[in-house]
Order: sequence, then structure tokens, then C-alpha cells
Amino acid sequence: MIRFLRRVVNTDFLPMNEVRKIKVVLIMTFLLIVTAATIGFAFFFDYAAVVKIVVMAVFLLGVGLIYLLIRFNRIMAAIHVTIVYTIALTMFYTQGTDSFYAYLFFYISLSVIVFYQELYIFLGYGTVVAGYGVFYILKHAGNLLAPDDIPGSIYAYVVLLLMFYLIFLLQSLHNEKLYTDLNLEWVKLNQVIGSYQDFTLFHLEEIRKRDKGVPFYEDRAFRKAVDELSVFVCEQLREHGRDITNVLDLYIYIHERGLGKIIENEELSTATKKIANRLDKYLLNRRTDMVSILLNFFTRFRATEPYRPNRYEYHLGRLAPATDEQIVALAFVYRVLAVEPSAFDAWGQPDKIMSHEEICQLFAAPEMEEFLSDGQIAFFKENADLFRDHLGRKG
Amino acid sequence: MSREPIRGFPGIAEYREMLEIRHLRSKNHFVIMILAVGALLTILYTSLAGYDPVYVLSLSIAFSALILLNLTCLAYGRENVLFNQLNKYVTTFGVFSVAVAMIFIFRSPSMLSLLFIAYAIAAFYQDRKVMLISNVSLLFTFLALMTNYRDFFTVENASAENDFGLFFFVIVFISLLTISQYIMIKQKGFFYNQIAISRETEFRNIEFMIDAGEKATGRTIDAAGYFAAVEAFAAALSAKIGVPDALGGTLAVLREIEAGEPCERIAARHPGQTPESLSRLADLLFTGRHKLRKVAIKIGRVRAVDVHRREIFSETQFKTFNHPSDTLEIKIIAFSIFYAALKRGSAGMRPLTEAEIYDAIVHTDYFYYNDPAVMRIYRENNAVFDAIARDAFAAEAER
Repeated sequence: MIRFLRRVVNTDFLPMNEVRKIKVVLIMTFLLIVTAATIGFAFFFDYAAVVKIVVMAVFLLGVGLIYLLIRFNRIMAAIHVTIVYTIALTMFYTQGTDSFYAYLFFYISLSVIVFYQELYIFLGYGTVVAGYGVFYILKHAGNLLAPDDIPGSIYAYVVLLLMFYLIFLLQSLHNEKLYTDLNLEWVKLNQVIGSYQDFTLFHLEEIRKRDKGVPFYEDRAFRKAVDELSVFVCEQLREHGRDITNVLDLYIYIHERGLGKIIENEELSTATKKIANRLDKYLLNRRTDMVSILLNFFTRFRATEPYRPNRYEYHLGRLAPATDEQIVALAFVYRVLAVEPSAFDAWGQPDKIMSHEEICQLFAAPEMEEFLSDGQIAFFKENADLFRDHLGRKG
Repeated sequence: MSREPIRGFPGIAEYREMLEIRHLRSKNHFVIMILAVGALLTILYTSLAGYDPVYVLSLSIAFSALILLNLTCLAYGRENVLFNQLNKYVTTFGVFSVAVAMIFIFRSPSMLSLLFIAYAIAAFYQDRKVMLISNVSLLFTFLALMTNYRDFFTVENASAENDFGLFFFVIVFISLLTISQYIMIKQKGFFYNQIAISRETEFRNIEFMIDAGEKATGRTIDAAGYFAAVEAFAAALSAKIGVPDALGGTLAVLREIEAGEPCERIAARHPGQTPESLSRLADLLFTGRHKLRKVAIKIGRVRAVDVHRREIFSETQFKTFNHPSDTLEIKIIAFSIFYAALKRGSAGMRPLTEAEIYDAIVHTDYFYYNDPAVMRIYRENNAVFDAIARDAFAAEAER
């Protein structure tokens, strides 16, 4: 319980699938509480006793189904079941009692649906709930009116319910766009970081070879450390901790043979191939997730200049406000692009240098918005020949 | 051992806040739009229903004041971000005040939902303090109204069960809204965190790449060659546009900064320059780890970026040792490899001490890269981890 609450508090560090899981667990808890309360409220409902018992049994089964879906990691299915469950509760209340509080269930249902922050789910289920809400208000107007109510009070109910729905629909639309934009920015950043790491890894490998060092996976001390650490952790969590060494042997074997050969090997079982496939992202002989995480981790301990507000600013227009400074900056950038390697060549060496035509193409790309103003791009186009003749690579 | 998650790098909190403010402005547009629709509907209803003009006028003024406040804060927010912050709080108080005023004017059970509408409008901001204000306002207003003005919400078929149900389900509803808002705020924080961390990671990776390249090849940027090329370009440009020595001043200053001349001496030689302008100009150097080199490196890699629609929101983008599809054994091995690699170090990466590893794993976002059970074992036994790694590497060193 404490661990779950801690995860709720630290949701901003968890990926989307983990957050979805937390949301479903929270809604399941909420539904369990409301269902327990419903047992009490059901005494006042107009249904026959047998109907009440059957419905309550179905609700309890529903909670069990949600629990099982969460347990077997079928989170999207669990989300749908919780929503259907909430709508069913709404119907049970609104059809079972004339009391005013039943009307609140439309707001409760919409809040449950919007909680998941999935646009299509809100559009689908939310519209159904809002539509049913309007139907209920118009059909059961008598339950909602005060003895001397204001004129057009029923329409106020309708308008307010629809406004609540529309505000959350707008919020969902806005969040969908916001999350997509942020995610796109993040994915792009990850890819760019990956391309730096390809270069870094190549250079680190050169340094290692020059220093006659051994790679991680060939280093006996490293293998011994990993072996003993794995066994130690596994023994704390499992009865047969030593079994993990088989997986570790496979991990080392993938380095030696390559994943492709292991997958092709007919002598190996499907289970082994599956494990090998999952281990592939943790190999140490190329830029895998493991190597990326390691490189990122090591950069934390490298000296760097102190933080300044323009630390992550890469736009020449903002770095150099004066026109002459911008031209000088653009000239230097062109020079770096024209003489320094920025990609791997056909032989896998980090020696590929951009041609003038490639730079022209690059400067015309929409991605340049992050680096250059329209004025700078126009200036470059007007004087492209000067850039090529004086700043380009000679020979 | 206590565990307090902190942001991994100093300074990224500021960047994260900047990201939030950038998006807060777009949310404000939505809030203004909703307020305008609310104002229109209210004025239309009160006029058509023949309410006293005092009520029509007062509600019109209240809505107008809120909309004007939003527009003003939006305008001044460009100059000072505090206006954007202020706007959130004042608007939240404002919408609840207008809702309460309308409840008192109309005295109808249908108006109870106005409190929920006010909450929904404030929820747009997705801010923790706004959430607190909204919750307190909603709960306090509801309890105050139900206690002192119960007759506002008396429907024709009133009963004790109805009263209890109303209390119970409004409280349940408020709890649900609170949890929902809290998680949504956190969820949004995840993206801001990831982007802020990635920005810093990118910055450090560029520096790492520059250093590794220079160490591996022994080659540095040919500063003299660059300056000569740009001076030739400046001369040709001057000739083309007919302005003598168009970029000479800036280039001369940059040359002196590059040569490591003290700021005072450069400022004395170039009267237009101040320490601030020189500091800004230093960003235009292209050697070592200077800013302009990073800009050029980043521009050079942009063409390699190719994001497909299906990659967005793909869980594989999140590099972690805690993939749901992995077995516990794989998660254990992943963490063991990671830990042993940190202890061993490699070319260009010095071995890290236990204190450094523990602090960075347990007190930063790296904690969430691992299976909770594995992290528990590490937190409780980090000395054992340290001893195992030291023994393994020491034994090999002795051979």
C-alpha cells in the first residue's frame, strides 16, 4: 500500500503505461467504495429485491474482473471495463431512485472518463454519458425541480451538464495536442542524442583499442562482478538464485555470436530465443539502451559550465541579437558544417562531411526554425556563392 | 536510508518552469473562450427570464472583469511571467466567486453544478496550487451552502436519504476530482521532466562527444584557419554590398576573446563593448566546447532525425531497465550490468565511487529506471553491492 502511494506521488517520473496502471487501480478502489455504499443505498431503490441482489453480484464480479485485468497487465481492457462499470452504476442509480443525488452520477461518470486522458475514450463514452444525462434530465424533470424553481430550470441543468462535458472535451483535446507535441520533441531529442552517442562510442572504442583495453563483455572481472551481483539480487527475491547464471551465459553468448545467429539456430528453444531477443537491448557492443543509459549516466559526473538561462538555446538570432554578429555566427556555423565530419561514411567511419548542396538543402529544411531566423536563411540564400567560395572545403 | 527524489541536474527546474509557462499561455486562451461563452449564456438567460437589471449588470461586470483580467495578464505576461502565475490564482478565485454569486441570485438546485463548472475551468491550468484553491473553494462553498442555505437545493421529493446521498456523493465527487487532477498534473510533469532532462543530457552528450573526438584523434578545431576563412568571406561580402569592413569589428573582438585576452583589455580596446556584450560574444566562438560549436553540431545532426508517428508515445522510447515485458531475471541482470559497468569505468569514463552511484541512482529519476524490488535490494544492501564489485575487480587486478 505504502509502495503504491509512493508510486502515485512520483507519477511524474513514470512512463505512460505505468501511469495508466495507477489510474486504473485508483478508479477500481473508487468503484469499490461506491459499490459498497450502493449496497446501503440500494435499500431505497425501486427495484425488486432479486434485481438488487443480482446487480450487486454483477458489480462485485465486475470489480473482480478489473482486478484480474490489472493483474494480467491488460490495462486498456481494464480501463474500458471501469468506464462501462461506472456507466452501469449511473444507470442503476438514475433508474432506481428519484433522488437528486442520482443526477450527480453524470458528473461522476464524466470525471472518471476524463481521468484517463484518452481523447477517443472521452469522445466515445463521454458523449454517451452526456447524451444519457440530457435524456434523463428531460425525462425525469420532476426529480430535479424545486417547488418554486426559476424559469427554464431544466434547461439550466442541460446546459450546465453539457458545458461540463465540453470543458473537459476541450481540455482533453488540448492535452492530447500538448502531450503529442511534448512527446514528439522528446523523441526527436532522444534521436539526436543517439546520433551524438554513436560518434562518442566510436571514439571511445578507438581510445580503448589504442590503450589495449578489453571490452566490457570480454573482461573477466566485469563478468564475475555481474555474475555475483545477479546471483546476490536473485537470491534475495527467488528461491533458486543460481539459475540466473544461465540467462547471464546467454547474454555473454549473444555478444560472441550475435542475435541473428541465435535466432536462426534451430537447436535452441523458442523460450531461449525470446530471452535472447529481450536481452538484445542491454548488449554492450553497440549503442543499445544499456549503452545509452550508461553514457548518459557518466555524463553526470563530467565537469561542465554552470547553468545559464540560455544553456539550451541554439537559435542564432537569440544568441546574437546584432545583425553583424548573426552573419559572423552563420559564417562560422557554415564553416563547421563544411569542414567537420557530422555523419558516418559508407565505410562506417565518422568522416562524412556535408557538401555545399547538402548544407543549402539543410538550411531550407523546416527543422532550421529552431536555429535560424527567416532573415538569416534569406541572407544565406542571397549569398550562398560567397559562403561556398570562402568558407567551404578547398579541394 | 531515506529517499527523496530530486531533479537530476541543477538548473533544469528553471527550464521546466519555462516550459510550463510557455504552455500556460495557450491554456489561458481556452479559459478566456469558456468565460466568454459563460458570460453570453448568463446574460442571455437573465435578460430573457426578465431578471432585475441590477443582476444582469452585476453578472455582466463580473464576467467582463474576469475576461479583462485574463487579457491583461496575458499581455503583461510577456514582460513578466509572474503575471501568468497571478492570473491562474485570481481567475480561480474569480470563477468560484461568480458561481457563488449566481447560486445566490438564482436560488435553484440546478445551479449547484455551477461549482463543478468552476472547478472544470480551474482544472484547465493543471497546477497544484490552483488545485488546492479549487478544492478548498468547492468543499467550503458546498458545505457552507448545504449547512446555511439548504433551501436552495430542496427538490420536490426531498428526503433524509436524498440529503445524505447528496452530501456523500458530492464528497465522493470532490475526492475523485482531486485525485484525477493530482495525477493529471503529475502526468504533465513527466513530459516536462523528460524534456528538461533530455535537454541537459543532450548538452552534456555534445560535450562528451567533442572531448572523446579530440582525445581519440588528437585533433582540435583549426581556429586560425576558421578566422582566415571568415575574414575572406567578410571582405567579399563588404565588396558585394559596398560597405567597407562590414564584419571587421565583431571578428576582431572574437579573435581577442579566442586568444584569451582579459575582458577589461578587450573592452578598453573596443569602446562599444561591455563585460555583458563580451560574455554574449563568447557564445559565438566555435572552438572547444563553445556554444556556437554545439549549435553547428546540433544542426549537422538534425537531418538524421526521422520520427514516425508510431514512435510517438511508444514505450520503447523510454530507455529503462524496467520494461513490463521483461522477466525479473532480465531486470536483475540489466541492473547488475549497469552497476558493474559504473564501477569498472572505461575509456573516457572513470570508475564511479559507491557514494556517487548510490546518490545518483537513489536520489534521481534513475531510481524509476529499475524494477522496484531490485531497487529495494540495492537500497538496503548497497554496501554488499560495493563489496562484491570491489572484490571482483581487485582479484582481477592482482592477477
